[in-house]
Amino acid sequence: MTALRKVMKDGLWTNTPIFVQVLGICSTLAVTNNLRNTMIMVLGVTFATAMGSWTLSLLKDLIPRKVRMIVQVLVLSFYVIIIDILLRAYQPAISKQLGPYVGLIITNCILMGRAEAFAAANKPGLSFADGLANGLGYGWVLVCIAFIRELLGFGTIFGFKVMGGNFTPWTIMVMAPSAFFLVASALWVANVYKARAEAKKKAAPPNQGSAAPAAQK
Amino acid sequence: MKFKKESIGYVIIFTFVICAVFVVLLAVANQVTLAQAKANQSYASHYTVLKALGLADPTTSKTAVESTYASQVKQLSDPAPGMAAYSSVIEGNPYIAVKITNPGLWGPITAILAADPKADRIRGFEILDQQETPGLGGRIGEPWFTDQFKGEKVSADGKIAVVQGSGKGDPNKDNSQVDAITGASRTSDFVQTLVDKALATVRQIGGSQ
Repeated sequence: MTALRKVMKDGLWTNTPIFVQVLGICSTLAVTNNLRNTMIMVLGVTFATAMGSWTLSLLKDLIPRKVRMIVQVLVLSFYVIIIDILLRAYQPAISKQLGPYVGLIITNCILMGRAEAFAAANKPGLSFADGLANGLGYGWVLVCIAFIRELLGFGTIFGFKVMGGNFTPWTIMVMAPSAFFLVASALWVANVYKARAEAKKKAAPPNQGSAAPAAQK
Repeated sequence: MKFKKESIGYVIIFTFVICAVFVVLLAVANQVTLAQAKANQSYASHYTVLKALGLADPTTSKTAVESTYASQVKQLSDPAPGMAAYSSVIEGNPYIAVKITNPGLWGPITAILAADPKADRIRGFEILDQQETPGLGGRIGEPWFTDQFKGEKVSADGKIAVVQGSGKGDPNKDNSQVDAITGASRTSDFVQTLVDKALATVRQIGGSQ
């Protein structure tokens, strides 16, 4: 149980994909200008990472090292296409909204990253939890960024107008560059916070010098 | 066991088998859901035609859409390969709708445009399918954008201009202009080309009737 707890904590905070592994940045830039699209992307990535990690972990004793990456791509793209097929048949409205997003899931480095870093050496159940935690760890950061971008870029939250009538939308927030600023700022804040917590753990170090290496991760 | 796993024979057989297994699973999933997906597609097409004609909105029930489509819309012969045309008489006025697929920035854009037979004023414009950049060009499917075309007067030379504006939608229905999408000039250009082509097709069909 403690192993599971550690895996969840790692994915959601200590080793989150965006802040620490700096993975999945491409999709972070692309989809975070509105919350609904972000949620759809997060669900897709979480499902594909969890199921992909689980399957690859089940197969790990059978996979020859030489072709393991080919097999990882195969299994992960399998889940991505399955999502697409099922949505098209049973949830056409969502499928239409998703449009190109489903294809974008496979380009997300988190999927391959977790398959290679975790599922290749751990039990299926734990790998599933790791995929889930990383998907959600990726998710909450994206949702925070999307919240700011949609609020300032469109003046809406989930499509509902929340800003007053005389609010001028910040066009920059709709475009990709704003995600660079926001992701970088979020990374900065998270790392400063982490470094502080670490410093405190080390029983009051004489200066903040010990925080520097952590912040550079 | 260990050396066997890395032997060339095992690697080849394993890769072959695993690919076959997953591909078969996908093929089966695709086949099983094909009929359902086709039905969804045809429904989406019917609904979008009605929406462009102003006969349906998001609150219209599925059965109402199908029955209205059956009673109100007549499919005409295809004006060109890959295009479809429909006619309908609403409150005594004839309208023509065309389904058109034209290039977009990343992939084809399929849209339906309805207008009077002379193509003087647009009745409605709806996007059926597109792969434009999510959040930028992808917004051409959103109501604020497509609603701009509703009732828009077509210019004397038979065109509509998609121009840089406030980015909130152009409310003037007589200037033959709609607002382009901020940050998606290319997609906006493609939409303009598509709309102009659709208008020309409507005029052609209207003229031959």
